[in-house]
Amino acid sequence: MDYGILIAQATINGLIVGLLYLLMAIGFTLVFGVMRMVNFAHGEFYMLGAMAVYVFTVHMELPFLVAVCLSFVVAIVFGSLVEWVVFKPFRHDELNGMIATIGLAMILQNLALIIFGPDPLSVPPVAQGVTQISGVYIPNSRIFVVFFAVLVLALLYFYLKKTRSGRALRAVVEDFKIASIQGISSKVYYPLGFGVGVGLAAIAGALMAPLFSVSPFVGAAPLLKAFMVVILGGLGSIPGAAVAGLALGLIESYASLFLSASTADMLIFLVVMIMLVLMPRGILGKGEV
Amino acid sequence: MKLMASKIALGLCAAFIAQGALAQQDTLKIGALVTLSGPGAAWGQAMKNAAELAADKVNAEGGLEVGGKRYKVVVIPYDDKYQANEAVTVANRMIHEDKIKYVIGPLGSAPALAVQPLTEKNGVITMTMGFTPRALSPEKPYSFRAVVTTAEFSQPQIDWVVKKEGIKKVGGLFPNDESGQAIAKDLQSSYSKAGADLTSEFFERERVDFVPLLTRLFARGIDAIELDGNSPATAGLIVKQARELGFKGKIIRTGGPATADIVNVAGKQAANGMLVHSVLDPNLPSTKAYMDAYQQKYKAPMNGFSPSFYDATNMMFEAMKRAGTVEDTKKVRDELAKLENFPGSLGVLNWTGKESYGSNQQLDLPFYVAEIKDGQEVILARCNTKGCQ
Amino acid sequence: MAGQNVLSSTQSAGRGGQVVPFILLAVVAAWPFFSGPFVVHLAILTCLNILIVNGLSIIERSGQLSFGHSAFVAIGAYVSVLMTQYWGTGIVVSAIGGIVIAAVVAGVLGAIILRLTGVYFVLVTFAFAELMRLMLLDWAAVTGGANGISGIAPIDLFGFVFDTRGRFYVLAMVVAIASFLFMLRFYRTPIGQAMDAVRENPTLAESTGLGVYRLRLLAFIIGCSLAGFGGVLMARYIGYISPETFNISISVSLITMLVVGGRRSMWGPLVGAVILTPLPELFRGAVQTQHIFYGAALILILRFLPDGLASLPSRLRKLTRSDA
Repeated sequence: MDYGILIAQATINGLIVGLLYLLMAIGFTLVFGVMRMVNFAHGEFYMLGAMAVYVFTVHMELPFLVAVCLSFVVAIVFGSLVEWVVFKPFRHDELNGMIATIGLAMILQNLALIIFGPDPLSVPPVAQGVTQISGVYIPNSRIFVVFFAVLVLALLYFYLKKTRSGRALRAVVEDFKIASIQGISSKVYYPLGFGVGVGLAAIAGALMAPLFSVSPFVGAAPLLKAFMVVILGGLGSIPGAAVAGLALGLIESYASLFLSASTADMLIFLVVMIMLVLMPRGILGKGEV
Repeated sequence: MKLMASKIALGLCAAFIAQGALAQQDTLKIGALVTLSGPGAAWGQAMKNAAELAADKVNAEGGLEVGGKRYKVVVIPYDDKYQANEAVTVANRMIHEDKIKYVIGPLGSAPALAVQPLTEKNGVITMTMGFTPRALSPEKPYSFRAVVTTAEFSQPQIDWVVKKEGIKKVGGLFPNDESGQAIAKDLQSSYSKAGADLTSEFFERERVDFVPLLTRLFARGIDAIELDGNSPATAGLIVKQARELGFKGKIIRTGGPATADIVNVAGKQAANGMLVHSVLDPNLPSTKAYMDAYQQKYKAPMNGFSPSFYDATNMMFEAMKRAGTVEDTKKVRDELAKLENFPGSLGVLNWTGKESYGSNQQLDLPFYVAEIKDGQEVILARCNTKGCQ
Repeated sequence: MAGQNVLSSTQSAGRGGQVVPFILLAVVAAWPFFSGPFVVHLAILTCLNILIVNGLSIIERSGQLSFGHSAFVAIGAYVSVLMTQYWGTGIVVSAIGGIVIAAVVAGVLGAIILRLTGVYFVLVTFAFAELMRLMLLDWAAVTGGANGISGIAPIDLFGFVFDTRGRFYVLAMVVAIASFLFMLRFYRTPIGQAMDAVRENPTLAESTGLGVYRLRLLAFIIGCSLAGFGGVLMARYIGYISPETFNISISVSLITMLVVGGRRSMWGPLVGAVILTPLPELFRGAVQTQHIFYGAALILILRFLPDGLASLPSRLRKLTRSDA
């Protein structure tokens, strides 16, 4: 196999995976930006999204797109509720809030275990077959996912830049003190911020559900990725998360081409640790410290 | 009113007497130390259910009769999460709190090795599924294995497959743990003896995205992918993703029944044409009877390993009968090892393994090479440790 | 303020208040001798956890939350076992080796990462723990990889072999109590008090001549060494170690024990370990319910009793006092 095609294949693989990391990471960094909370339960909301899609498509036989939208709605509502009821006392209490999210993660995962059992469940694929572009193979199901991820990101961008509510949310993320002086109600925006953040995780989970199997355990790996992307991109920086998400996907893809899988994993952790120490503000330098 | 009261009183008396009668019956506890969560749960469930079905059958006959006493058989399951230290904690509890002396499990090689010091010291008979060669030895008289391992079946199977399909280069994907590493090693030598070349890639057991690894393998120009050693769910994902990447070659799984799950995850189309190792022939009446019983009780697809443990449990029962005791595990153990030509659901069973492990503690079972056609296994060849036809 | 709280509550409680917890402790410690082997097993694990969580507590009281504590338990365990395996060293030498290497790694790592604070420190220790686990997994030729190392010989101390559960329990209990007493003594020394004050009162810390950074580093090194020691003992008790024995969920359990037990109190690690170590066994039939309980307990404690269960007596005392 000639190297050009190999690299091209790895690039495409990397970008596709990177897009999904991006979705996870943006939600994660949004939650941190709004509430200064490292959300250890973020992966469980990913799982929630995947499970919701499973229920909607397999048990209620709804079309996939409807299922994804419904999952998003469920996640936003549930997330907002949880923030308002459970996490209110922890706003801006970084460490305690983080530990509280660990508790939430345990509860969510085990509730899912009780309801769905530990076995992996299958969601029917959205598209079959593979597209070939000059020697590079892209599974059609992944093209579908890319399309929708990009759509979601476009909608998010529009929301954050053009709508009043979105701009208010951004203001809270960037500087909550000034935002509250300006009269932006924390009563509304904290739950909303958390809800949107975990909603994005749920969409990532929903989109991935047909690609990989669905089980109560699927949340751990995406959480780890979200951590790494957000560290690389700078905590609280949305553009940083975007760039770092794609970068991580690419780095992983290229690394596993040339190194064994375990070496690639270790290398990435090492890179993350180095970044944290040398550039805590992230690649774009826009993160908070 | 008075009639009502006396009826109630009679009823209560009857209940007390009946309960007393049942209480007279002793219980025999069989422990199921298996993986019930995470990857590998499919196998764990199969093992636990097998023990339960064996217990049900015996209890329906009034209990297991040993040494003149009747025992109600109860299966007590514990989840070891495929982790060795969990297995050790659980084994501690089983042996010291529940006073269990007979265990189905452990499932994985790492848990099996970890609990052996405990089970051997306390004379607890175990029926493991762990593929590692280190699990059996004359120094571990209480450890038995109820499934044939790669060491036994890979050569005959691979010889046959390589010859039939003309395969030269194989890429293998294995989990990075005791089972995966042991299997990769066995397969490597089998393939090279058969004239083909196997390169192995290892990954974290929890991994779900295999596209980068597959891309790496395809770069080497492989004819076939080897999937033995992977949990059923993982294997399904690999098959799905390989086909999605446009791989047209053969996919082989030289071991570890997983067909139902692979078809479930990958879909019938992707799984078509896969060459798998099968441990059962559904046309054999005794096997079919077991499969029907399983389907009736659990209403879920049965993993191919289940009948082996059904037979293993029954063999333990038979050994207890012959030894005349359930308490003296040394006697039971000796009777167990002496069993010959035992009629099991999979056929006629014997112990083997002296050459490889030093003593006969490995169950000798027939096996088959099958192809997946439209979601079902179709047997292409029948095999034993000597060869396939 | 934090240090002062603990001191004043024990002082104001008077002699009576000080004795009661110790009596309770004696009862709890003696109980396993009258129960079955499984209870002793749990007691041993609890004692080892007390040691390890005390280490975590030292780090936490200097203002940093370490999410990688399990990695140092792993270092202690693996180094001591490998020393015996390759060089045939006895328990004393291998234990020292395990603890020293844990301390050295902590020192080097700490020197680099202690400039970070808060969540960043948490994340980097998290990354470190994962890195350690992957390294142990990958370096199979030395560490045994995923198979782990089995058949680890019990402790043989000058001819006295700790191969029965009862004997090991005595050892574990002695070690746990020693670590508790160490904590009591240490936080009365000037350095200890400075460390305690680092979080709340940096100027007090500076007054000892050691900067905040240096105090944190010292705390990190001591805390991780205790963890390493715990690892050395754990390996000899269970007889088997593998990279999975030291994964992230262990770090999470340790933090849970510390938080639920109480981060501001000497008794915190003790209470947390005693309550949370045996709890999984009570729930063994219903693992999921157990974890839901853990999660809920964590959130409730954080919300209503942020100083953990160990602060319960003083809280109750304050309530009754305010009535009068």
